[in-house]
Parts: sequence; structure tokens; C-alpha cells
Amino acid sequence: MSISQPIPTHDHTQIELGFLRKYIFSEDHKMIGIQFLFSGMIFLFLGGALALLVRLQIGWPYGNLPMVGNWFPASWGGKMSPEFYTMIFSMHATIMIFFVIIPWLTGAFGNFLIPLQIGARDMAFPKLNMLSYWVMWPSFILMLISFFVAGGAAGSGWTAYPTLSSAAMPDGMTGSPASPNSGTGQVLWLISLLFAGVSSMMGSVNYITTIINMRCPGMTLMRMPMTIWAMFVTAILQAMALPVLTVAIILQLLDKTIGTTFFLPPAGMAFGNWHTGPGGGQPLLWQHLFWFYSHPAVYIMILPAMGMVSDIISTFARKPLFGYRPMVYAIAGIAGLGFIVWGHHMFQSGMDPRLGTGFMIATIMIALPSAVKTFNWLGTIWQGNIQYTSAMLNALAFVSMFVIGGLSGIFMAATPVDVYIHDTYFIVAHIHYVLFMSTIFGIYAGVYYWYPKMFGRMMSETLGKIHFALTFLSANATFYPMHIIGVGGHPRRYFDITIYDTFQHLQPLNAFMTVAAIILGFVQFIFVANFFWSLFFGKKANRNPWHSNSLEWAAPSPPPHGNFEGNVPSVYRGPYEYGHPETQEDYLPQFEPNGPKDTPGGSH
Amino acid sequence: MGKGWSVFFGVILLATFLLWFVAPFYGWWLPNAVSTFGPDVDWLFYLILGFTGFFFVLTQVVLIYAMWRFSYRPGEKSTYSHGNHRLEMIWTAIPAVILLGIAIVQISVWQDIKYQSKMPPPDVTVSVMARQWEWRMRYPLETSRFKWDQKATPEEVRQKQLAARAWAENPEIDDIPIANEIHTWVGASTKIYLRTQDVLHSFTMPNMRIKQDTLPGKTIPIWFKATRANTFFDTNTRKLRIPPNRADAWEIACQELCGGRHYAMRGKVYVHESRESYEGWLKHAVEQSNSREPEKVAAAD
Ligand code: HEM
Ligand SMILES: [Cu+2]
Ligand SMILES: [Cu+2]
Repeated sequence: MSISQPIPTHDHTQIELGFLRKYIFSEDHKMIGIQFLFSGMIFLFLGGALALLVRLQIGWPYGNLPMVGNWFPASWGGKMSPEFYTMIFSMHATIMIFFVIIPWLTGAFGNFLIPLQIGARDMAFPKLNMLSYWVMWPSFILMLISFFVAGGAAGSGWTAYPTLSSAAMPDGMTGSPASPNSGTGQVLWLISLLFAGVSSMMGSVNYITTIINMRCPGMTLMRMPMTIWAMFVTAILQAMALPVLTVAIILQLLDKTIGTTFFLPPAGMAFGNWHTGPGGGQPLLWQHLFWFYSHPAVYIMILPAMGMVSDIISTFARKPLFGYRPMVYAIAGIAGLGFIVWGHHMFQSGMDPRLGTGFMIATIMIALPSAVKTFNWLGTIWQGNIQYTSAMLNALAFVSMFVIGGLSGIFMAATPVDVYIHDTYFIVAHIHYVLFMSTIFGIYAGVYYWYPKMFGRMMSETLGKIHFALTFLSANATFYPMHIIGVGGHPRRYFDITIYDTFQHLQPLNAFMTVAAIILGFVQFIFVANFFWSLFFGKKANRNPWHSNSLEWAAPSPPPHGNFEGNVPSVYRGPYEYGHPETQEDYLPQFEPNGPKDTPGGSH
Repeated sequence: MGKGWSVFFGVILLATFLLWFVAPFYGWWLPNAVSTFGPDVDWLFYLILGFTGFFFVLTQVVLIYAMWRFSYRPGEKSTYSHGNHRLEMIWTAIPAVILLGIAIVQISVWQDIKYQSKMPPPDVTVSVMARQWEWRMRYPLETSRFKWDQKATPEEVRQKQLAARAWAENPEIDDIPIANEIHTWVGASTKIYLRTQDVLHSFTMPNMRIKQDTLPGKTIPIWFKATRANTFFDTNTRKLRIPPNRADAWEIACQELCGGRHYAMRGKVYVHESRESYEGWLKHAVEQSNSREPEKVAAAD
């Protein structure tokens, strides 16, 4: 393939692709990245709307819902049913994880940034790349259709534990004896995630190949920006873990459709007077397979954000990244340990408690590389010259909030404490501090930072800061008290806690969090407004508006097809040479041939 | 706004920090611990809270201070540094030691709670069958039937345990069926064999600091010993004296998603003041169950 060869300048200015090839079935990594960005944004709002419905029910249990109540069947009397509630929190998590966070991090940012930051003209396999986006659409559509099938969309949580999810009716009957939502809805859920998995897999082989083979001259591994390291390790995690999830999904699909019994215990099950007949399987098997994928997957959901935040913090602190090598080792350490801790989701599952002891030790130790990363981010801003751009604020919020999410992990990793807090709101707090408060802030930081490169215009900094301030405030108000009610024992996935003497006094906090969540939801429209307004009216961006060092800033904004005019750039040093004492400016790009040469890998 | 952002972060983080001190005064805190696991689990919780609290304050203060002190000064340059090997060693080694320490101190408590080999001879044995959406308990007629004495050989202990498991899996005609209620007495080591007939559930007693999922196809034993009573069986009125205040109303909750009415799988925990009170209640329950038709009793499993 000639992609890595220089394309003569006249070439890309002359090729005019039609609308369809340019914007829809594009093979250009940048357009594919932007497509992932847009579909992710749509699903962010759908997932967010579901979350608000969940919060309305928890905040005012069984209350009459204004407006939305009218859409419910008349028999519900304007109120939510417990099954409906179960369905919407399951779909909220599914959509946010599989349709927003993973596609945004790897699909949008991975696609857009990898070739640009390593000085390549495109991905190694552009067609495969296009396919990886379009395979998401069957997944999207099946998931959306599932809301309208008999029984509604899947309702066994995003974790889909058998036998609630897998119990099937005998031949010729549809539905499930376990839950109305475990019928066709669950089947569609499984098929949808199969497609999403195929998409991720296509992306991941592409990223690995591209990063290994297509780096421009001088771009050694230890000169790669942190974003690239993170994307690289993430892609490896995906390639290794995804097959296991795929197998698990297929097994459950077979259980549900042709009556295999992989997850059905030998003695079968009884629902009322109806008995399933004997099985020969084991419900716990699903949990092992699922978490063998999904624990590494939680790192898939944060490592790319860690990489992006590292780049952004160094840029706006105008200071080299502190401890480049330890940062790389920490990513590798998280990824490696990430494969031997899945059992921490199963401490109370009935798995042999002696296994729990081993998983506990591994899990507690995984906090170590996370701590090392945090200290190095702090080291980066220390003695820096910090510019408070919207991107930087979101990146700093990432660091601050990741500390909270990481620390709460230790409570749950400690098996005896987990006996008490497992499946309480403490877990919900943890999830949201790592996934919302860290990853989503990281994503926002990335959008504010790379928007000029993506679209050739600047976003409004004023709106950006207002959006940040309100989001940071309302998100903390929404999620922080979840720690407290978790300590109070508030179970997760509960339709109504007020029937419990033990929990009912926590209800005022629930109402408070719901109000905060509604504000949080509406504040996000500021971001959308800023995004679309700037698309047309934003200030035109030059090549390197932030005075950054990495290669994407050598390309025009937005970069043309083929990314770089003339030859691909050459790299002379690491990506973090900010504030170099021997230079006039306070930055020294990787692609600048003059000026002080290397500090190997930018580290000591 | 420059330094203002440092203040903004500081105020919000301070608020989150203070919430931990305010919450207990509103009762938004760990519910009363009333089993022998209580002090152990809560101590470990506070230990981790202490260490994580320390690192929370440390990192956030450094962050906020740096945001203030090193905010943008036009024309100046940052201090050019790529890291510090000695610092890296320090901030890797110290947390490593602390984390390993935290991990190690958990082990013995975890063993006490969950290892079958550590479970003491049971004064009371209960069989619990979960189903959508209730807990169905069975009590053996003979209260301490599966207890072994302290001098028992390992083989004798094993035989007792096998017998108990066999009983839990095979109902007997004189068992006493009760729905959604755990009864025991203060100081009695209570063993519960957990099963489910349909989907996963999780048998949780927050006040006892115990939780265990039920798995289709498996019988899983757990145990606890209550350190406080909340009930007394009045032989005259033949009624339980129910706890007067909320803090003494101990409950069972299901904490593994099991369908629509997952939230409503509520049960109650009655810890009697004495063995006599427990047995008085049991006798009463026997009479009640005898007055029902025998088929119904058998079908209750
Ligand atoms: C310091 C490192 C971390 C530790 C020690 C840790 C530990 C744990 C433990 C023990 C659980 C299971 C709790 C339970 O179910 O009882 C858990 C759940 C979870 N963690 Fe972490 N975690 C860490 C970091 C992360 C990160 C970085 C992410 C994602 C970006 C993450 C995402 C999740 C999610 C999504 C769950 C909940 C899964 C569910 O049950 O729905 N964690 N964590
Ligand atoms: Cu995990
Ligand atoms: Cu349940």
C-alpha cells in the first residue's frame, strides 16, 4: 500500500470525492472519527434521557411523571412500572458504555488522532476502518428496535446475568418466564452487542497495525505521545478480551434461541408451576466470561482518556510531561494486571471464597499504577505555567475526579468491606466517578482541544468555561452523595427504597440528586450549542492554535485528505518539549528540525 | 479567571469532603451493626476511609495549590523538567506498601465470614429457598440438630455438615416453613443454607454485614452471630414483641437483580432475647403450620 509514501502536493487538492464518498462512506480516518463523534453524541442524549427517567423514579418513587407519564400505557396510570424501570436502567448503561464511551474513545479519538499523531497519511486498512463504523449501525438499529418488541428492551442490567437474562420458554413459545424484558428484547440486545464487538475488533487490529507499522521517520516508540500509547494498549486489550465476550454472547444466544443449556444448572429451574427441565450448565460461567472481558473493558473505557489528558495537561501547563517512562509503564501495568482481577466483581457471587482472596490482592495492587499516574500529572502541573483553557479545565477535573473514583475502588476491592457495599450505591458512585467524572471530562477536554484540528474553527471559550463550571458543579452534586447513601446501604437497581425501614431515611438525598441530575442534563445543551455554533461561526483556527508540539499540529486545520502537505513530517524529539530553556518560544514541536535535539523519549 | 479556578475546584472538593462529616449527623451512615462481623467489617471500612481520606486530601491540596501558585504568568516559562527518578521511586514504593498492608489485613476477616472451614458449629440452621420474589425459610424441628461439639473430630464435623446440606436440599415433613423471616437468638451462631429455584438473588442483611448471592443449582452456606436482640416472644399473647424504632427493625434485602420486583424482596430479621424465646416462637409456629393442610406445607419448599 502506498499510503506511507509521500503523496505529491497536487494530488490531494485535485481529488474531489463525491458527497457520499466524502461524508458517508468515507475511508478517511478523520471523517470516520467525526462520524463516531456524532453518533456518540446522539446516543449520549438518548442515554442521558433514560438516566433522567431512572432518577425521576428514584427521587420520587412511584410518582406521577409529568409529561412522560402520558406516553405510558393507560393501565399504568401515568406512573412507571418496576419492569419499565428495570429496562431503562439496563438500557441506560448499555447505551452509555457500548454506544457512547467506547466508540467515542477508540472510534472517534482513536481514529482521528492515531494517523495524525504518528505522522501517517491514514490507517493501515482504510476500508476496514470504514466498515468498523458501518457495522455499528446494525448494532444501533437493533438496540433501538428492541424498545418496541413485545416485552420491551432488555432488562437484566448491562451485565445480563443468567438466568434472569437467559431463561427461555420451550419450543414454539416466545418470551421468557423470568422477566418480560428477557424475551425478544434480550435476544436483540445480544445480537446488537455482537455487531458492536465486531466493530471494535476491526478498529483494534487497525490501530495496532497502524501504530506498529506506519510511524513517520524519527517517531520511535518512546517519542509517541501518551495518547498513542494509550490507544495502542487499549487496542491490545480489546483484541485479547473481546473474543471472550463474543463467545459468551453466542453461548447465551444459543441458550435463548435453540435451547442449549450452557447457563442452565443441571436441575433446571422452576418458575411458578413451570419447570425448565434439566440443564447441564452453570450460571456462574457467564459471570467469569463476561468479567474477563468487561474488567479489561473498564480500562478500555478510561486509558484513552488518560492518554489525551496527559497530552492536554502538558500542553497547557507549558511543561514537559512528568515521568514519561513511568507513565508508559503504568499504562502497561494497568493493562497487564487488568487481566487478573475480573473476579472482584464476583466476590459475593458464590465463587469459591479462596479465589476471592487472590483476586482481592491483585485488585488492591492495581490501584498502584493508577496512583503513579496521578502523581505524575500533579508533577506535570507543578511549577508549570498553567493556561486555563476549557480543555485544560476539563483535563484537571479528570485528574481530580479520577482520584475519587480510584480511591473508592479500594473499598470494594477489600472483600470484607465489599460484603457490605457490593451492589449498593457505593458501586454506582464508583462507576460514575470513573466513567462520567473521569472519562467524560477527558472526552470533553479532547473535544475542546482538538476541535480546531477537526473542523478548522475554534469553539467559544466563554461558553466552554460556563459549560465546564456548571457541569463540574452539578455532576458532583449528582454523584458524590451516592457514596454516602451507599455507605447507608442503599441497594442499587431498586425501584423504591421507601418500603425499607433500613433505607427510607436516605430518600431526601435521592431527591436532591435527582434535581442535580436534571440540571446536569440540561447544562449539556450548552456544549451542543457551542459545538454546532462554532462549526459555522467559530473563529477560524490556524495550524497550531495552542502552540502544541505533537505532529497533528503540523497539518493544516482541518487536515486535507492524506493529512500532511508534501512529505510526511520527520520527528526530531519527544512530544513534550515545553518551556525549553534554550528556545525563544515556550514550545518546540516534534517536527521542528532546528533547535535543541533530543532528550531521549523526553524522559530521564 | 486564572486563580479563580483553583478556588472553584477547592470549594467543591471541600464540600464533598465535609459531606463525610455532616452525613452521620443526619443518620446517613452505616446502619447499626448487630453481628459479630459488624465491628470487624466496620473497622476495616474506617481503616480504608482513613487511608483514602489522607490520599484524597493530599492529592487535591497539591492540585489546588498548584492551580493557584502556577497559574499563567505571561512571558514566563515553566520549570523545564522531565521528571525525577527518586520521586518516582518514593511515590511508587510508599503506596505499594500501604496497599499491600491494606490487602493483607482483610484476609482473616474475609475468611471468618465466608470460608466454610471456618464456620462454627451452628446453634440454629435455616434453609432458605429464594424465588421471584420472596424468601422461603425452613426451620428444623430440632433446633440444634446440626451442631457438633467442640471436641468433634474433623470427620464428625464433616458428617454433620453433609447432613445439614442434605437436609437443606431435601425438605422433611416436620420442617417449619416461614416466609421472609429469619429467626435466631442473640449469641447463637446461625447457619443459613441458601438456594434459589429460578434466577440469581442475593441474600443481604445490612445490619449483620452479610451478603451472599444465591445461585441456581448450588447450595451455599453462610453464617452469622447476632450480638443484639430486637424481639421477644410473649407466651401469653402468643405474639412477637416487635421493635419499637426504625433502627431496630433489621431487614433482609435482595441485592442481585432478579426482575421487576427485585426491590420488593424484603424480609425481616428477628433476633430473640434468648433461646427460650426463640423456642417459644418455634413451638407456636409448629402449631400454626400443623393447622394448615399438609400438602401446603410440603409445597412450601
Ligand atoms: C483504582 C482502581 C480500581 C479499583 C481498585 C476498582 C475496583 C472495583 C471493584 C472491586 C469493583 C466491584 C465492586 C462490586 O461489584 O462489589 C468495581 C466495579 C466497577 N468498576 Fe472499578 N476499580 C478501579 C478502577 C476502575 C476504573 C478506572 C473504571 C472504569 C473506567 C472502573 C469501572 C468499574 C465499573 C463500571 C464497575 C461496576 C461494574 C458493575 O457491577 O456494573 N473501575 N471496581
Ligand atoms: Cu473490574
Ligand atoms: Cu433481587
